[in-house]
This record gives sequence, structure tokens and C-alpha cells, in this order.
Amino acid sequence: MRLLLVEDNVPLADELIAGLQRQGYAVDWLADGRDAVYQGQSEPYDLIVLDLGLPGLPGLDVLAQWRAGGLATPVLVLTARGSWAERIEGLKAGADDYMSKPFHPEELQLRIQALLRRARGLANQPTLEAAGLHLDESRQCVSRDGADIQLTAAEFRLLRYFMLHPQQILSKSHLAEHLYDGETERDSNVLEVHVNHLRRKLGRSVIETRRGQGYIYAGNVA
Amino acid sequence: MKSIQARLSLGLVAVLVVVGVVLAQLTLWLFEAGLQRYLENGLRKESENLLVALVRGPSGLQLDERRISGAYQRPFSGYYFRIDFDQGTWRSRSLWDLDMPKPAAPGLSDSHELGPEGQQLLALRADYRRLGQDISISVAQDYSPVREGFRRMQQIGLGMGLVALMLVLVLQRITVKRSLRPLERARQQIAQLQQGQRSQLDAEVPVELAPLVGQINHLLSHTEDSLRRSRNALGNLGHALKTPLAVLLSLASSERLQGLPDVREQMRAQLEQIQQRLARELNRARLAGDALPGAQFDCDAELPGLLGTLGMIHGEGLVLERDVPPGLLLPWDREDVLELLGNLLDNACKWADSEVRLGIAPSEGGYQLWVDDDGPGIPEGQRLQVLERGSRLDEQVDGHGLGLGIVRDIVEAWGGRLVLLESPLGGLRVSIELPRRAR
Repeated sequence: MRLLLVEDNVPLADELIAGLQRQGYAVDWLADGRDAVYQGQSEPYDLIVLDLGLPGLPGLDVLAQWRAGGLATPVLVLTARGSWAERIEGLKAGADDYMSKPFHPEELQLRIQALLRRARGLANQPTLEAAGLHLDESRQCVSRDGADIQLTAAEFRLLRYFMLHPQQILSKSHLAEHLYDGETERDSNVLEVHVNHLRRKLGRSVIETRRGQGYIYAGNVA
Repeated sequence: MKSIQARLSLGLVAVLVVVGVVLAQLTLWLFEAGLQRYLENGLRKESENLLVALVRGPSGLQLDERRISGAYQRPFSGYYFRIDFDQGTWRSRSLWDLDMPKPAAPGLSDSHELGPEGQQLLALRADYRRLGQDISISVAQDYSPVREGFRRMQQIGLGMGLVALMLVLVLQRITVKRSLRPLERARQQIAQLQQGQRSQLDAEVPVELAPLVGQINHLLSHTEDSLRRSRNALGNLGHALKTPLAVLLSLASSERLQGLPDVREQMRAQLEQIQQRLARELNRARLAGDALPGAQFDCDAELPGLLGTLGMIHGEGLVLERDVPPGLLLPWDREDVLELLGNLLDNACKWADSEVRLGIAPSEGGYQLWVDDDGPGIPEGQRLQVLERGSRLDEQVDGHGLGLGIVRDIVEAWGGRLVLLESPLGGLRVSIELPRRAR
């Protein structure tokens, strides 16, 4: 899952990025509203965390421009101005959720998790379930038939993306775009290695290969 | 303070009565004086005629009967004379057997002498010397018809004066009412202002009222301005404090402090306290309260957005219903009402299983607000406790305990009352009574 964080306060951004990366998200960070308008539309983000008090262009205007440009990516608004009047304004401008500062990092992570699932039309349950597998995002492990299987960070990220997009053909370049932030070098061989690791742990059939097209998540079909 | 209308009427009546009476009396007096002077001339001529009619006869002085007017012969004709000289007194035949007293001094004497048949006489005494004798001739004329005339005129004048006075009063009332109409309009607009139906007074007023209306409008916009400014400043302050606080909160729960669980707990607890206090005080300071008379909250316009927002935050599974009469306007600041309802509903949504209902209805003394949920509710014994702690009600769900605290602050600022009841849906009902704004 690749996120865009637009936040002008450097210490807070550092903290948030560290926390989000621990949760297995690839995070790009911007501090200026004008940059955000461009990059939000040009890169395929799965979710955007947007602070409202931005230099360059106010967050609400950035959001309005994204929505006017047809951007459908879920946007979580972060603001120090937490009154209901402002909250309603933010959601009218096209935000999908609203968090007022200060917040607990865990809450932000829960909200991001819920928002990502909602965007995929999935129910907000404690674990992510797809085709027989249960993924516990807080512990970063997967359970199959009641047995827990530990995952590495990279495997967790990959499996989560697959499970959020079940029955969907995902090309390597698509996966690379959504699993790595803009600064990481994308090597498709690395992806292949991780897919193989997942197959070894969960069974060969969990991810099918469509030659020339990419991978498709099939899950734990007996 | 008496009404302007009453003052004007009283003043006008006093002035009109004083001036009218003085003027009428003066006119009558001048007229009478003129008439008397005219009559005096006639009487003087009469007395001279009588003087001429005095001739020397065989036995001293003698009155030549042929030379005097017939009116002196007819009894009580209204024309009388008496002639006093050394040898005696002659009286006209018209006096019959009554005596006309001789005026004390020469000249015209006003009608204080009562003659025959209650006639009032205007008498003129003239002293002459003729044929070697001092002769005093008093001629009198019946003055009663004139007096009568004057009295009638006085009565008619009084009647006409009264009628005129009534007419003036009625006309004045109409004029005053008409010229005070802008004042009345301003009064109504101020009432509308208080009910939140308008935010400014109409500036199209007469010159006399313009400074007042202008000043009120200026004050209104000034209050609104300074409120907006202070809200902005508070927002900036909040922003300035909350972002570092968010960094600290994030730091406190980071892995770097894993080895020091005590420190971590302490930090978290303290930061939590700062955060709650800050949020509550900032919210409280943002309240407009009663500062803005023109404020209003349009339920039809604002509630869909609020409920939509809540629906988005709390997910699709929740049914949010509202039971609000169409076109209802609440006379409070929009942001305050949104804050109140937002926190109330947010709280209810956190606890509800599937349904939250908002009701607003105008009541006798103001407005009644209630929010129902179908959650677990609060046992009756604990409700008071929850209210006293206020902010703790929603802590378990959100971790940001504010909801009912700020709700209570708002309700208190508006002079309302908040009670917790059992909801017909099975959960908690938060019921708020808000008085209509007094002024």
C-alpha cells in the first residue's frame, strides 16, 4: 500500500512516516500544497493523508483541486482545527475521514486501515479476510484454519495488497508502484522472490501466475 | 419611561389650552372694550341731547319733553337717564318706579348696576354747568343683550375650541404614529435580530434614525468581526500547540521508549491531560454564546451535512434519523450549534448498535433537543456521576474524552439544562432544554 503524506511539520511528518513504515506502508512525503496537487494526481496512491494547514496552498484547496480533477483516492484529513463546522467543510470538500490533532498514532493507523478497506468495499473487521485467509494487520501475521503463520515485513505488505485486491490480476509493475515509495528502486526480481516465499508458507495455489499478465490472488481454496 | 406619543399629546394639549384660552379671553376683552367705547359715544351724545333739552322755564329749570327721545318715555325700554342738580333729581319715565343710582364718578361706569328686570346697565355720567347750575346727567343703556351675546360667544368659542382640540389631538396622533413608524420598524427589526431572523438592521431610515441604526449595524459587524478574529487566533494557537503535541504523543508511543515503560506511561498520561485540557478550553473559548444577536442556525441547510459527516465517520451500518420540523431556525451561532449537535451525535454514534435519532422541536419557553441511541445506555444510578465527570463518557471508545464536556459548556453558555434519560430505542437519551433568548 502506497500512501502520500502531506504535512508541513517536519518532526510530526518524521514520526508519522516512521510509524506508517512500521505498519508496512510505503510513504511519500510532501510539505507544500502546490506540489501535493501535482503529485497526488500523477502517482497511483492508495490513500492520501492531508494536513489542512499547508504552505503554498491550503489543504482544503488542494483537496478541492484533486476532486475537481477526478481523483478518487481516499483522503484522510489531518487538522489542528477540529471544530465540527470545519470538519463538515472538509468532508464536503471531498475528504473521506477527518482526524483532529493531536491524535494517538495507533488511531491514525486504525483509521487508515479502515479507510483502505472501505475503499475496497470490505467490512471493517479486526482482521482482513479474503478467500480463507485471515490477516491480522496489527501483528502482521496470517492465520489459516486457525493456525498462525508469521510473515516478514515484505511478505506482509505483499499479501495485504493481494488480499485487498482479490480476484484481480496485478501486474509486477502495478505491484511495484503500490508497494514501494517513490525513492525506492523497483526491482521486479525482488517481487518474484517475495511471491515465492508466500507460496512456500501458504501453499502454491495462494497466488496464481498469469503468464504475461501478472499475478492473481486465489487464497486458500481447498 | 413614558411613551413619546403620550408626552407629545400632553405637551400639545397644555400649549393649546393655555394659548387658546388666553387668546380667546384677550379677543373678547378687546372686542368688549371697543364696543363699550362705541356705546360710550352714543351715550355721550344722549347726555348732550338731554343737556340741550334743559331749558329755563317759568319755575327754574325745565326739561323740554319734545326734545327727548321716546325711548325714555316707555317703561323699561332699556334707555334711562337721571339728571341731578341742586334743586333735585329728575328720572326718566322709563325707569318707572325704580331708582337708578347715580354713578359715583363722571365717565363710563361698567354694568355693575342692576336696573329693572335684572337689566345690566352701562351708564355714563357727565357733569356740566348750564344756566348757572351744576348739572350731572347720567345716561344708561341696557347692556344685558350685549353681555348675553358675549356669553353665548364664549360658550360657542369654548365648544369650538374643544372640538378643535380633539381634532388636533387625533391628527397629531396620526402624524406622530406615521413619523414614528421607522422607529417601530427598527424595533421590530431588533426583535427579529434577537430571534436570529436577520443579521443587520435595514439602513433605509429617516435622517434622525440613521446614526442610531448605523451605530447598531456597526456594533453588530464589529462584534462579528472580533469574534471571527478571536476564533481565528484561537485556531492558530490551537494549531501551534496541537501539532507539537501530536509529535510528542507519537514519540511517547514509539519503540524508542520501549525500554522505559514507566517513562512512557507517565508521558502518555501527562500528554493526555494537556491535550484534553487544551481541547476543552479552546472549544470553550470559541463559543460565541450570546455575543451575536443576529446568529442563526438553519436546520434544513446544516443538518444533512452534519448527519452525512457522521455517517461517513461511523460507517454505513448506522441509521441516522432526524425528527426536525421543516424550516426550523435556531437563534444561536451556527458553529456553536454544530459543535453541540456534532459532539452529541458523535457520542451517540459511538455507543449505538444500529440507530441514532436526533429530535429538535420548539417548545413553550424555547427549544427541546434530544438524541437517542439504541446502545447499552447508562443505568439510572450512574447518570448523575457521568454528567459530573462529563468528559469521561466517551473515553473508552475514542480515547479523546471531550464530547459531553463541551456539550455541557455550550448548554451552560446558553442557559439551558441537560439531562440523561432512558431512550425509547433502549439506549441513552440526552435531552436538552434551551430557553429562548431573552434579549
